[in-house]
Amino acid sequence: MSSAPLLAVADDPPVSLWRDAWGRLIRNRLAVAGLVMVLVLAFAAAFGPMLTPYDFLSQNLDARNAGPSLVHLFGTDDLGRDVFSRVLYGTRTAFVVAIVVTALAVTIGVTLGATAGFFGGLFDRIIMWFTDMTMSVPNLLLVVVINASLKAPLSQWMETQYLATLNPFFRETIWIDFLLVFGSMALIAWPPYARLVRAQVLSIRSRPYITAARALGLTNRIILTRYVVPNAIGPLIVSVSAGLGTAMVLESAFSFLGVGVNPPTPSWGNMISDGLRVWQHYPHLLAVPAIVLGLATVAFSFLGDGLNDALNPRGSK
Amino acid sequence: MSETLLEVKDLTIEIATRRGPATVVDGIDLHVGKGETLGIVGESGCGKSLTMLSLLKLLPNKIRVAGGSAMFGGRDLLTLNNKELRAIRGGRIGFVFQDPMTSLNPVMRIGDQLAEPLIHHRAMSKAAARQRAGELLKLVGIPGAEQRLDAYPHELSGGMRQRVMIAIGLACDPDLLIADEPTTALDVTIQAQIVDLVKGLRQRLGMSVVWITHDLALIAGLADRICVLYAGTVVEDAPVDQLFAEPAHPYTRGLLASIPRMGAPDSARLSSIGGTPPEPGRRPAGCPFAPRCPLAEDVCRTTVPALAPLRGEATPHRVACHVANRVMEAA
Amino acid sequence: MSPALLRIENLKKHFPVRLGAFGEKAATVYALDDASFDILEGETLSLVGESGCGKSTTGFAILNLHRPTAGRVIYKGENIAVFDEARMRPIRRDLQIVFQDPYSTLNPRMTIGEAVGEPILFHKLCSKAELPGRIERLLADVGLPGRFAQRYPHELSGGQRQRVALARALACEPKFIVCDEAISALDVSIQAQIINLLLDLQEKYGLTYLFIAHDLAVVRHISDRVGVMYLGRLAELGTREQVFADPLHPYTKALMSAVPEADPAGERTRQRQILEGDVPSPLDPPSGCRFHTRCPIAMEKCRSSVPEWRDTGAGHFVACHAVP
Repeated sequence: MSSAPLLAVADDPPVSLWRDAWGRLIRNRLAVAGLVMVLVLAFAAAFGPMLTPYDFLSQNLDARNAGPSLVHLFGTDDLGRDVFSRVLYGTRTAFVVAIVVTALAVTIGVTLGATAGFFGGLFDRIIMWFTDMTMSVPNLLLVVVINASLKAPLSQWMETQYLATLNPFFRETIWIDFLLVFGSMALIAWPPYARLVRAQVLSIRSRPYITAARALGLTNRIILTRYVVPNAIGPLIVSVSAGLGTAMVLESAFSFLGVGVNPPTPSWGNMISDGLRVWQHYPHLLAVPAIVLGLATVAFSFLGDGLNDALNPRGSK
Repeated sequence: MSETLLEVKDLTIEIATRRGPATVVDGIDLHVGKGETLGIVGESGCGKSLTMLSLLKLLPNKIRVAGGSAMFGGRDLLTLNNKELRAIRGGRIGFVFQDPMTSLNPVMRIGDQLAEPLIHHRAMSKAAARQRAGELLKLVGIPGAEQRLDAYPHELSGGMRQRVMIAIGLACDPDLLIADEPTTALDVTIQAQIVDLVKGLRQRLGMSVVWITHDLALIAGLADRICVLYAGTVVEDAPVDQLFAEPAHPYTRGLLASIPRMGAPDSARLSSIGGTPPEPGRRPAGCPFAPRCPLAEDVCRTTVPALAPLRGEATPHRVACHVANRVMEAA
Repeated sequence: MSPALLRIENLKKHFPVRLGAFGEKAATVYALDDASFDILEGETLSLVGESGCGKSTTGFAILNLHRPTAGRVIYKGENIAVFDEARMRPIRRDLQIVFQDPYSTLNPRMTIGEAVGEPILFHKLCSKAELPGRIERLLADVGLPGRFAQRYPHELSGGQRQRVALARALACEPKFIVCDEAISALDVSIQAQIINLLLDLQEKYGLTYLFIAHDLAVVRHISDRVGVMYLGRLAELGTREQVFADPLHPYTKALMSAVPEADPAGERTRQRQILEGDVPSPLDPPSGCRFHTRCPIAMEKCRSSVPEWRDTGAGHFVACHAVP
């Protein structure tokens, strides 16, 4: 028997690629800053509305358009509503929309991309043709068309249902808002995920360790779950992190244009839109939501970049 | 000994890691005479390519020269500015890389890639450069050279592309041609063609050659002198016949013994060197080979041996080993 | 002579490819054509040749990792070349493979212990309780300490990974291992370690190897028999002594002559026979004998008719018109 090999790494604890990536992530200052900001925003979205002294809808017409003060941290708007509470609630809206939309988009994208990559052939070509088609339609146009064509008939239907059943659920038109926003945004957000996952699966499928697993007689199911998926997931995490930020911006953009979440539900987008009308007199009404939106975007982008460097160390710089 | 063309002294190269800089090349001394062919032999990670790349400031990111000098034509290459270096790169020193597929620009015609250094360094006219490019292709044995000038790299085979690389390296009649594992990516019959070509060109053009390789058998028939590198240090430096006849460093001897020889009688097992080379940043104190060395003594684990003439004579055979002298006398 | 473990008959593997910017041109890569030979129990049979000669394809086709286009692979009396994945599964235990690139043959997300233990559990070769001991024994077999089971592939050197790949192949208690350029990517001093390990394991477990390599010096060292391939066809096959001391095919002779020797004086005086030109494309292989475009002794007949694969006596096979 040949002599025992020297072990350069013998005394360090074993390091999995995940732990290694985590180590790289927390050494990256920008990524940590991004991560902290995302966590703070997420906390605000989850608990903020419960902690504020004001309801986001409660109006105080005696204190309209007040500047920031100790009573109203970020001041009040033209109806005397507390801007701080509204921004917190807008954070919740942004997170709910971003998470649901990204989850939907990832589900559609991963399913289509993985099947296209794994089975290939005609199936692959049809799915990819469909993906390219979707990508080539201008996003805004698609959302506006969906909203314009579906909103009225849906509201109508809800109203008929309410009158017929008197179920209070049907009176809440906010569900239509969310359904349309989620649906239309997911519809434009999935193609990049499909492309990414397909490329990942294609590249992993040709790695020698997949052939090695086949040579051991392992079944397709084991190969998919233990070999393909864990190795494909890194880039997907990066993409999802960036996607959450993008979804928040999209939501704000649509709300700003009036095709997203509708008042009185607060959204950064419709707050910016309201603030824009009066910014010369009451700049805080525009500044506060705009700054928060900017911070959120920057946070997700730092985190996404950090995750990318951490999970794909060779591709960085 | 003939006149010295290149003299590298105490060259040290560091790589930036998470734990701070790690030494990858540790005080290398080597020299190349005019018209001489030097073989640099070592395993992956021993610093053989970095040493040569550093001379022309071609080191990748995060790797930098930390000390030493490299005298070439009366000037220290390591102190030249970029403009001065450009005149030397591709002008007086030609470089041939391992992978001819990725070292050629895929969207540029062969002829234009060949003419570029001529226009740049020799201020030739386009027409003259093209004519010279055709001659160069003929020189490296490419059939139908004139027509090949308009070909793109992907239209040529691997062997042909490596010939083109060599032609580019030779374009400005360099004094020194550095070839970094130029045949590693090629098949053995094509490797034989390339080796044959370089041997012939060397004689015809009278240039010096540095040939970097991991293959001792390949370099045996090609080099005048061989430097053996291990973990960023020169462990042995000797004329080729002496190195193969009486290898002095235990590493060199281990390497030679681990090559299966075509003519040798059947032996059940190859002699092998246990263990693996140290990673940069985890180099042992003392001799870097000590942890794998069958002859290591206490002094080897504490003191770095100097590269000194074998048996204390004025011989070109130099070795960096505390025990080599004693072992060689006993043998 | 030992009995044949595997009998390969007229094995062919052609890959359809699409060329052109829009994949409009259909073509075929003739990767392996009409290979017939036996692999004997307990032997090391090497396949040598230059890139694109089809030696790796042969290994993949025998293991049905690439389904053969035509021909038969007889194992235990059955033609496994036509088996589907489900019928192959129990047979895969017996027929294993180790690949060239140690950096990509292990799943980066699995520990060494998981990688080695997976085939044992999958083929139900022992109980869960016995598993750690079994993994440790396998690692010891390939010269690695048991604590390596907790390590991840990226923490290991190339040589160590190749040892893990071997342990994984051994986990199934195979009879036959294809070593597909298994040592080509390793450094010289590490190569020698792995070659010795392969020989040790063969002795211990009575393994049969199909050793695919391009390094003739290594092949000369470890083979019982050697097959030489050129552009998808076998050119010559015989015992090591027959092929190395008495090569019949002009390609074998040229190949031997191109191999450098670690002997400076001998190299300086040696008369090499250097082949002209390059290996033609397997998309459009030459007619007749595929070597005729580079062969120094090609005749008119070589251009038109494919030389017959025949035994010249004592099991020394060759396909050449010029060999009497």
